[in-house]
Amino acid sequence: MLTRNFGALFVRRDLLMAWTMRTIRGRYQQSILGGLWAIAQPAATAIIFSIIFTYFVPVNTGGVPYVVFSFVAMVPWTLHASSIADMVESIVGNMNLVTKIYFPREVLPVSALFARAFDFLVAFAIIVPLIAYYRMHIAISGWLILPAVLLTQMALALGVGLIGAALNVFYRDIRPIFTLGLQLWFYASPVIYPVSSVPDRLRPFYLLNPMVGVVEAYRAVLLYQSVPSPDIFYSAGAAIVILVFGYWFFKRVEFQFADIV
Amino acid sequence: MVDQISKRYRIGRGLTNLRELFVLRKESSPQQHHWAVRDVSFNLEPGESMAIIGPNGAGKTTILKLLSQVTQPTSGEIRLKGRFSALIELGAGFHPDLTGRENIFLNGAILGMHRDEIKARFDAIVAFAGIDEYLDTPVKRYSSGMFARLGFAIAAHVDPQILLVDEVLAVGDYAFQMKCYARMDELRAKGTSLIFVSHNLESVRRVCKRGLVMYRGEAIFQGTAAEAITAYSDALRRKARESQVSVPLEEGLSQRVMTFDAEVESVSLLDAESRPVTVLQSGAAALVVMQVCFNKDVHEPIFAFTIRTPEGNLVYNITTNWMGIQTPDFYAGERCRVEFKIALPLLEGYYDLGVDVTPRDLTHFYDRLESAMGFSIISTNGAKGLVDLGAEVAFKKIHSLNSA
Repeated sequence: MLTRNFGALFVRRDLLMAWTMRTIRGRYQQSILGGLWAIAQPAATAIIFSIIFTYFVPVNTGGVPYVVFSFVAMVPWTLHASSIADMVESIVGNMNLVTKIYFPREVLPVSALFARAFDFLVAFAIIVPLIAYYRMHIAISGWLILPAVLLTQMALALGVGLIGAALNVFYRDIRPIFTLGLQLWFYASPVIYPVSSVPDRLRPFYLLNPMVGVVEAYRAVLLYQSVPSPDIFYSAGAAIVILVFGYWFFKRVEFQFADIV
Repeated sequence: MVDQISKRYRIGRGLTNLRELFVLRKESSPQQHHWAVRDVSFNLEPGESMAIIGPNGAGKTTILKLLSQVTQPTSGEIRLKGRFSALIELGAGFHPDLTGRENIFLNGAILGMHRDEIKARFDAIVAFAGIDEYLDTPVKRYSSGMFARLGFAIAAHVDPQILLVDEVLAVGDYAFQMKCYARMDELRAKGTSLIFVSHNLESVRRVCKRGLVMYRGEAIFQGTAAEAITAYSDALRRKARESQVSVPLEEGLSQRVMTFDAEVESVSLLDAESRPVTVLQSGAAALVVMQVCFNKDVHEPIFAFTIRTPEGNLVYNITTNWMGIQTPDFYAGERCRVEFKIALPLLEGYYDLGVDVTPRDLTHFYDRLESAMGFSIISTNGAKGLVDLGAEVAFKKIHSLNSA
């Protein structure tokens, strides 16, 4: 069932690309900063937290300047959170289309994700010179691992986003619930602090968060020139499970979308 | 490329009116269900064109949504063979900040075309819409007419096997509408099946051969387009009677009171062979028949009938009074069949027939049917208007005085 649906989606890949381009262009066409927004958002957050965690509450960042420490995690996290937020709204925000024309509905959340991935790539382009400026370097093997980490992250986000998008059509409370959830998820992930800060007692529960492996992996490759911790495998496994379930759920309820006005 | 298209389906569709956000109990009581469409079946072959007409809320758009897979039937099945394109909304997905060129690719993709298909047909689309100079301006600067033309142009070039059109031709000037009709004819000739939903009975007649009439979710009639139009106004008539809509009268009869001393039982139109018809040839002889029963004694009543166009324009109104005929007296319990012999040199179109019975002093009605039945006239004449004046033409060359 899933392969058939995926096949149907693949046939409409032109639509997927077209809608992604539309989203990206629409977002940047009329803004002053244009693509710089993709950088400004994670950068601003990183700077604020830098002030807090460098001067107010020092944190062990493994010998790396805090600004870099947090920015390297903030960029992927921005992708994660903003894509999920967009995906949750993707069906509801396009109801006029959904009620009039048929096309595989997952095109909408997937495009939302791809559009945010574009932002990610723009912001990522800043990370490289940033690291060079701080006289660190990235191992060659790192460049091979990064796409895999990105894929894991996107799969996880997509799974969550598909569930959220579908639920949002039926229950409009979902949006604020997800907003709150993403905020809590942010603090439950090692974005602004290292995993080492987490007390041993709580560590096992902490590691249930699939984003832990992802964030740590980015840091490992970009900052510490080491191989990601085994947590990344757990993250990948969780991402696959959530994605499969999310897609199945989405396709199950998809045909009721047009009936909810 | 196109296989035989066969669609056979029975549909019932429930749309719940109330939805509770926090659904704890799963059952919903029966009165919360509303059957938008109930038990509709039809079959459409390649190249056939069918109109779906009916009053608002009859379920026409729901059928289109079911056909285009936007929604699923509660019961029954739909079988479609071939690619279809639905023109339910023009310019679907248009982003105002993107240019016409970009939106063509976007809208085309939404409608199901692949990128290379769009590229191949790009010039044809632009030519059809007539927006050559505006291709690279954002569509938010387009006038609503340009917007609609572009939307239709893209949809018209999807080249589907089945085309669904929902009331989108109201936009655009006359020239553009002609282009749209021409394009639909082209597609039909190529073997595309067409389903057309419209309130514009003229365009229905022009575009479609078959008609399906929907009323309150049920298919009450299927047949030729002309018959369907007649059945449609019968349904409207029924609806109006149920809600007692009052209509302004012509002068002379200001009272709307109907006393029913005489009651019109039935009205029919008979052809030259005395068969009841609803479709006639232009110029045919016909008989307007009204059957009246008398509940009280009535002294020399006046019988009348009226023919109007659907817009309400008067075509012909005659009463026995104006004809100078003295009608007999009738007694309670009697019934009478009144026949008016007429010729119908009317041009092609649909007409409403109304009848009434009044007392001699015209103070009120005994009974009046504003629109008792409708009928259609078919003509092979190319003339336009209401009446066929039977023009014949002769050419006579004029010689000047100098040539001898």
